[in-house]
Amino acid sequence: MKRKEFLRQLSLLTSGVAFGVQGVPVRTYAHNPFMLETAGTNGNILVLVQLQGGNDGLNTVVPYENSIYYQRRPTIAIPKAGVLPLTSQLGLNPAMSSFRELYDNAQLTIVENVGYQSPNRSHFRSTDIWLSGSDAETLEYDGWVGRYLAHKFPDYPVSLPEQPLAIQLGSVESMLLQSPVGSMATVFESPDTFYQLVQGNSAESASVPNTVAGEELKFLQQMAAQSIQYSDIIKKKADSGKNVVGYPNTSLGKQLAIVADLISGGLTTPVYLTTLSGFDTHANQVVASNVTTGQHANLLKTVADAVAVFTKDLKRQNLANRVTVMTFSEFGRRVNQNGTTGTDHGTAAPLFVVGNSVRGGIVGTPPDLNNLDSNGDLNFKNDFRQVYASVLRDHLGVDAINTKTILGRDFETLPIFRQNSALEVTEGIFALGQNTPNPFVNNTDIQFTLKQASNARLVVYDLAGREVLVLREGQFDVGNYNIHFSGTSLAAGHYLYSLQTDFGRQVRRMVKV
Amino acid sequence: MIAWNSDTARHLLARCLFGYTRSDLSKALSYASISDFVSKELLADIPQPAPVNSWVTETPIANNGAVNSLRYKELTTWWLNRMLTENTSMQEKMVLFWHNHFVSDRAKVSYPQHMYQQNALFRTHAFGDFRQFTKDVTINPAMLIYLDGQRSNKNAPNENYGRELMELFTLGIGNYTETDVKEAALALTGWSVNGLNTVFTKSNFADKNKTFLGKTGNFTYSDIVDIILTKDAAAEFICRKLYKEFVFYMPNEVFVRQMAGVFRSAHYSVRAVLQFLLTSDEFFKPEYRGSKIKSPTELVIGTLKFLGITKPDFEYLADTSAMLQQYLFSPPNVAGWPGQRNWISSNTYPARAGYSDSLVNGRKGNGQTLSFKVLPIDYARSYTSAEDAPLFVRDVIAQLLIIPPSAMKEKLLLDTLLDGTIAANWSTSTPMADARIQKLLKAVMRLPEFQLT
Repeated sequence: MKRKEFLRQLSLLTSGVAFGVQGVPVRTYAHNPFMLETAGTNGNILVLVQLQGGNDGLNTVVPYENSIYYQRRPTIAIPKAGVLPLTSQLGLNPAMSSFRELYDNAQLTIVENVGYQSPNRSHFRSTDIWLSGSDAETLEYDGWVGRYLAHKFPDYPVSLPEQPLAIQLGSVESMLLQSPVGSMATVFESPDTFYQLVQGNSAESASVPNTVAGEELKFLQQMAAQSIQYSDIIKKKADSGKNVVGYPNTSLGKQLAIVADLISGGLTTPVYLTTLSGFDTHANQVVASNVTTGQHANLLKTVADAVAVFTKDLKRQNLANRVTVMTFSEFGRRVNQNGTTGTDHGTAAPLFVVGNSVRGGIVGTPPDLNNLDSNGDLNFKNDFRQVYASVLRDHLGVDAINTKTILGRDFETLPIFRQNSALEVTEGIFALGQNTPNPFVNNTDIQFTLKQASNARLVVYDLAGREVLVLREGQFDVGNYNIHFSGTSLAAGHYLYSLQTDFGRQVRRMVKV
Repeated sequence: MIAWNSDTARHLLARCLFGYTRSDLSKALSYASISDFVSKELLADIPQPAPVNSWVTETPIANNGAVNSLRYKELTTWWLNRMLTENTSMQEKMVLFWHNHFVSDRAKVSYPQHMYQQNALFRTHAFGDFRQFTKDVTINPAMLIYLDGQRSNKNAPNENYGRELMELFTLGIGNYTETDVKEAALALTGWSVNGLNTVFTKSNFADKNKTFLGKTGNFTYSDIVDIILTKDAAAEFICRKLYKEFVFYMPNEVFVRQMAGVFRSAHYSVRAVLQFLLTSDEFFKPEYRGSKIKSPTELVIGTLKFLGITKPDFEYLADTSAMLQQYLFSPPNVAGWPGQRNWISSNTYPARAGYSDSLVNGRKGNGQTLSFKVLPIDYARSYTSAEDAPLFVRDVIAQLLIIPPSAMKEKLLLDTLLDGTIAANWSTSTPMADARIQKLLKAVMRLPEFQLT
């Protein structure tokens, strides 16, 4: 992506003008009586960071006690002395010092050895596999997030939800957000220019010829309608939202600043996709004279710094509990370095999940360099769809049956999020779980599960019956919800918490020490 | 036998050129048959143009960033100018096709001399022998830089080029193994770039037997290409790509295999397979007409041709094309621009309308004046129907859109032109006629139909 260039040109070409064409209906969708609320989600948000090109996992989370690692990579391995140790075996690339802090606060979970059976080493095919969530041998044309959204918004696109279903920062729409019913994404580079650009476009769905050309025309009409539909609300939310910390002046920094701004403005869109390219480090991955610097180090620093600032921004605005960031890349790189201080395409690699609701720590074992495949690549241990299943179930509140439908079959979840086993309803329509941990010092989690959609209000009371905190309030879909809350403002002592639903109320007790 | 008339001629021109003028259309129809026009105009050998500038032969020097960036600008505008003035040759369309096939990126290649050299190579081979072409590309300096061939040697072969040669340039995924990638990488060693030249250094070459696609020998890069071209998959892969560019993005596999048969029996002559494709029943099937979403260059250049603009600001065109995600000399990755629906997002769709507006307004979106624009009255009077409002609207639609808009839309467009008066009162001499023509043109080009060709 030529993002910087694009932004420069976009501002050159478009800033400060509203296009208008008289005689052609403008903004016909300004208000749509059939709008859906984004109530179909649990209010949690997933921000994906795609690392394009194949991130070198071994130099990202370094097995710094493994002599094979140093033998196979004589001039590009990160020396033990430079590594930021996390465990007795694994440490972060020194460029990722801002991730170190998140790790220490248990806001960062690393999932090791993520990949899939029969790995494909083509960028394009492997990217498609990751985006679609398919097996290596299966061709699919929509993305796992697109299918999630289609499940959450079954009336789309007959009626368009009031807020975008998914936002992608960029210009070329990703397969990730394609669903069997079409595109689920609103794609833009910046809310302001997006708003200015769509002014004057007409959305009109007159009948189209029943030919292949007609299909293309229908597609264009849908894009026109979508851009008109959402430019308004995106601009409004961006104007009322804010960033309270400064972001690094990098492509990813700018993208995440926009995401935080929109979340802060109250946009309820459940999924965002951001991207950073340049990870195809065949040559000059490191500077030969100083292996902790170079292309790859710059990229890792860009990721860690941008995500850390994003987390801080949300935390300061009290928005952090609902948001999880996940990185992914189409493959890791070969264990052996090549002859050009770089690495060729490989297979499994670690990925990062960041947020207040993750458990922290490392899921999985250090990469096994004794047991490579016939190409000299790592064998995967955790299927990438186990990560997706965990995100769907434990973060987005999708139940087991629908998760299976979205991913094509059952995948075991991984202990990425703090409470990973969903609370089951044993009697009636809903259940409220005991908080964990209990007693708690500052932070604790409360789960509840709904078998039917309902209004729900989750409130903390003191023993005198006074409301102390409202944790959640609104319309909730069927699902399991894990509510993390920080009780730092509460005095030590006994409290009650209650869940009021359309089907009744349950109350439990908890203790802060 | 396909009828040769204005419908079929427009379809052929729309797909083979970057838009066309009304005189291109008359010229096409002056030929007795499709096959005549294709062989004598579209696929005719035309002289190679003079280089963009004398710097193309300068030995590259390091740390010359500012100069390089000016030269890239010059190179890009030079190419866009060629697209605008190509007349009825499809040479530039094929140069862009090959740029999008044998991808290199200025960001990594860095020296404009090398990208020019490669662009000139694409022009030389635009309709040529695909076998020799692939061999030449393999050791082309820009390619050796872009896919790391120059860094590969017998002791530490780099797999980058070997893999993409098969996956993206010739066979397609699934037609080779990981071992083939490694063995090809060995055979491709020994080549590097010195200044503007390709150099072979025998001591860096893996001078030993390789087993590649089932054959064993001390293969060189040239053998690798020859062995690849013994596989049927290669011709099918290229023909599928040509089909997707010129016919429809979802290929008819039966027809692709026919094309591949023609391509192989013509010893991989690109001209022969294009002549076959562009005169085939398949190409002219009515259902495919208007089914291609214009690429940014097709939109940017084609709109100028439709509007009769001959002296545009080429830097503005280059910036617009890049903003619409076709940044010439810099495809998004080694697979090139995927095209069709990938051009369109909620971001680029409205930006396309911003471009067509700007040609009418004579202003960029930010209010900056452009050095050129449509002259509305002159434009209208270039139609014999200019003084008859309903007929004029119909003629403009017929020229600008392949899929006719609904009657409701046509009425809306006529209302836009009339702006409250009745058709009988319309004349290009009435006050404000220029503003109304401008509104009409903007409205037509904002229709989704305008994005199709």
